[in-house]
Amino acid sequence: MMWPRNITQDQTRAIRLLGIPFVYALLLLAVPLGAILLFSFWTQDFMTVDTTFTLDNYREIADSPIYAMLLQRSLMVSGIVTAVTVILAYPVAYFVSFHVAPSKKSLWLFLITIPFWTSYLIRVFLWKVILGYNGVINSALLQVGIIDAPLTFILYNVNAVIITLAHAFAPFAILPIFVVLEKIDRSLLEASQDLGESRFSTFFRVTLPLSMPGVVGAVLIVFIPTIGDYVTPELMGGAGGKLIANMIQTQFLQLNNAPLGAALAIVAMVCVTAVALAFVFLNRRWLRARR
Amino acid sequence: MTDLIQLRGVNKYYGDYHALRDIDLTIRAGEFFSLLGPSGCGKTTLLRVIAGFEGVSGGTVMISDKNMKDVPPNKRPTNMVFQSYAIFPHLSVAQNVAFGLRTRKDIDKANHKALVEEALNMVGLSGFGGRAAHALSGGQRQRVALARALILKPKVLLLDEPLSALDKKMREHMQVELIRLQRHVGITFILVTHDQEEALVMSDRIAVMFAGEIGQMDDPETLYRRPKSRRVAEFIGKMNFLPGQVQTVGDTLDLTIAGFGAAQITPDQMPEGARTGDVSVGIRPETLAILFDGETARRHECPGTVDEVVYYGDMTYYDVRVKDVPQPLTIAMKNLIGRPVLDVGETCRIAWDDRALVLF
Amino acid sequence: MSLRIYAIAYLIFLYAPILLLPVFAFNDATIIAFPLSGMTTEWFAALQTNKSLHAALGNSLIIAGCTAVFSTLLGMCAARAAAMSHFPGKGGITGFVMLPLVLPEIIVAVSLLVILRQVLGLDLGNWTIIMAHVLICTPFSIAILNGAFGNLDPAMEEAALDLGETRWSAFRLVTLPLVMPGIISSMLIAFTISLDEFIIAFFLTGSNPTLPVYIWGLLRFPAQLPVVMALGTILVGLSIILLTIAEVFRRRGLARSGGKDTGGFL
Repeated sequence: MMWPRNITQDQTRAIRLLGIPFVYALLLLAVPLGAILLFSFWTQDFMTVDTTFTLDNYREIADSPIYAMLLQRSLMVSGIVTAVTVILAYPVAYFVSFHVAPSKKSLWLFLITIPFWTSYLIRVFLWKVILGYNGVINSALLQVGIIDAPLTFILYNVNAVIITLAHAFAPFAILPIFVVLEKIDRSLLEASQDLGESRFSTFFRVTLPLSMPGVVGAVLIVFIPTIGDYVTPELMGGAGGKLIANMIQTQFLQLNNAPLGAALAIVAMVCVTAVALAFVFLNRRWLRARR
Repeated sequence: MTDLIQLRGVNKYYGDYHALRDIDLTIRAGEFFSLLGPSGCGKTTLLRVIAGFEGVSGGTVMISDKNMKDVPPNKRPTNMVFQSYAIFPHLSVAQNVAFGLRTRKDIDKANHKALVEEALNMVGLSGFGGRAAHALSGGQRQRVALARALILKPKVLLLDEPLSALDKKMREHMQVELIRLQRHVGITFILVTHDQEEALVMSDRIAVMFAGEIGQMDDPETLYRRPKSRRVAEFIGKMNFLPGQVQTVGDTLDLTIAGFGAAQITPDQMPEGARTGDVSVGIRPETLAILFDGETARRHECPGTVDEVVYYGDMTYYDVRVKDVPQPLTIAMKNLIGRPVLDVGETCRIAWDDRALVLF
Repeated sequence: MSLRIYAIAYLIFLYAPILLLPVFAFNDATIIAFPLSGMTTEWFAALQTNKSLHAALGNSLIIAGCTAVFSTLLGMCAARAAAMSHFPGKGGITGFVMLPLVLPEIIVAVSLLVILRQVLGLDLGNWTIIMAHVLICTPFSIAILNGAFGNLDPAMEEAALDLGETRWSAFRLVTLPLVMPGIISSMLIAFTISLDEFIIAFFLTGSNPTLPVYIWGLLRFPAQLPVVMALGTILVGLSIILLTIAEVFRRRGLARSGGKDTGGFL
């Protein structure tokens, strides 16, 4: 319930407490975000920043096809990664929620989350070992005699980037779906079967619609961060697999063109947000059902 | 008995929501007092105002003639038994009971152990001190909560729906034990409950609350027999309502009741400010009776038709249609030896008595 | 049944790269590829003598330690506020604090870089990484601590107040012991995240690299790769130990405050 006026003592205390992390996030997130927005309207020539307002950076992004291409590729890679992770993750979340004994659920979740927390860089690198010219897959396939020469289409291209990212973000997709599945009242499923639906049709008429908020959450929590990853494309993508995040990184750290980098970051963020909002909008009927 | 707690014009707002409206209340020392009402009526808020967990938006709270404004809960002579019992799960039973002694500089530390044992003994838990709190049953938790509060010898013990988490058998048992405990320690108990039966059984006095207001404050018998409003009458027990018309108000009050005919009310039953005109006449199901063969009514009788029969074992509840009465009348009959249970559709004679009538 | 097989296959997919780590860490060859040639502990020995590696590890430990403490403190504020009464705008503010959870890390990195270097003209150092890591770890701390604080019966603290304690002593005597497992769990998770974080650290690192930044450098030299494998093996082992302890404490915390285990950190 909302008490618009007459703030109670308890509320004052809560406001004061929440204020601390809020101010921190404001100073370290909102203010810096404002700063890059400002920067994106400036220009930089080697080390000197020219603070006259200009749209040059955005004009350059619009004019050179490389940026549009990178952005498009980034969105496509993130989109495919998201689709792959969420589709692969749903059955696992479903399995843990519905078919694992309650006492074992946390163990499963723990096992699923562990790889997510460990040595990101090395994990990405190891995919190179798995997919590489002399890698695990090629060695194995050669040994068995399925192929005569090592496969080359699995490393240093977009495919490799997609596989690696899908692996890295897998647990992120499972958890939101699992949480929502756990909340589904099991008697709803019994009611559906009581009313004549099979187990199979119950899943599509009851379970899946009820778990859509979790699916939407999983999509967002995978889609948005994957845009910002430059490690995987750098290591796995080769020349043709670079993404927008690599370009941002290059502008900032190698070309010393922070304003252009800032503009790219802004454009990337706006695109991601737009896609994310569109996705939420398309799924709005699943989200407003409860609460 | 002396007045221990006085509330004068207490109001409480949550934003636009008026949770307590002009509460005036006096609770005497040593009294078992209940705040009774449906959920959301403000009874728990009122208890928390007395405990000091909620401030007031207006009015005063006095305990032992001391204004409690700005006195925090830890400085008030009240202790509380929470609805969830709030037994500290990281402490043992004895540590829970001794919790409040830490800040009581007036009690010698050497006596703590004996006091804890005495408190546990009082609630029937002697020897449980070493148990882990999370290993207790619901009834045992409640006893620990009682011991933990009573060890501090508060002037007032506040109980927030203490029996609602227990099953029916345990609840009835604890009702009796709480009464005994209250007599034994002589401390004022203020009980919040939504269960009218519980309030009637346990209390010296009851305040019935609706929507932030006190509807009536009386001892259990007066509350049941002479409810001051239809709301109170409907909330406590069951009551039939018939339309009536008052003809004369003098030494006695003469009226006619739809379906029943003429009735007369004696001075001691007369409601305050009785006037001539339309009234609502209330009558409890157990004060009506169905007359079986050979029985005659002491005062009045009228004919009716059985509309519904609900058999309870010891009792049978009939809904009986009476000509000119809009709603069927509920009549409660004891199932005495040889007394038949009527069927739906049978005609019967109803006995009623003007001494049982309540006018609204 | 087929679901179970799928789930197990999925777990194998998740663990495949990690399982390869020790294989190559002990492999007696400088090339990270099959076939394997023989056992050696030479790469682990090389770790012991690498001065710049030790310096990077030292930096990372300091950063991770500070991050763990500060993000847990911020997380406690937010989680406690979340368990208290509602006020207008509470959801929005909490959402904003949780935002770094979904924000692309490169955005956090470049925006902090711009404000620190270009606007404020400050030098980068460990503290800049700590600030950024606290920002991204706080949402995780909040998520873990919400479980601890949210399951707590608000009547617990009121009971302590009612029994004569002040607000602070009630918090210290009742709430703090009950949420302590959550606090430890939160610190361990934040520590692990910070220790492993590369994307932001790479932007904000000063003259002294953190461990992941140092590893990134090594990845470019093929001769160093077996050493990286050995280092990775140790790091993964360490992370798993830390996470296991965190999980044990998180569960103990839930059991203590009487909550139901919904599983997982999020």
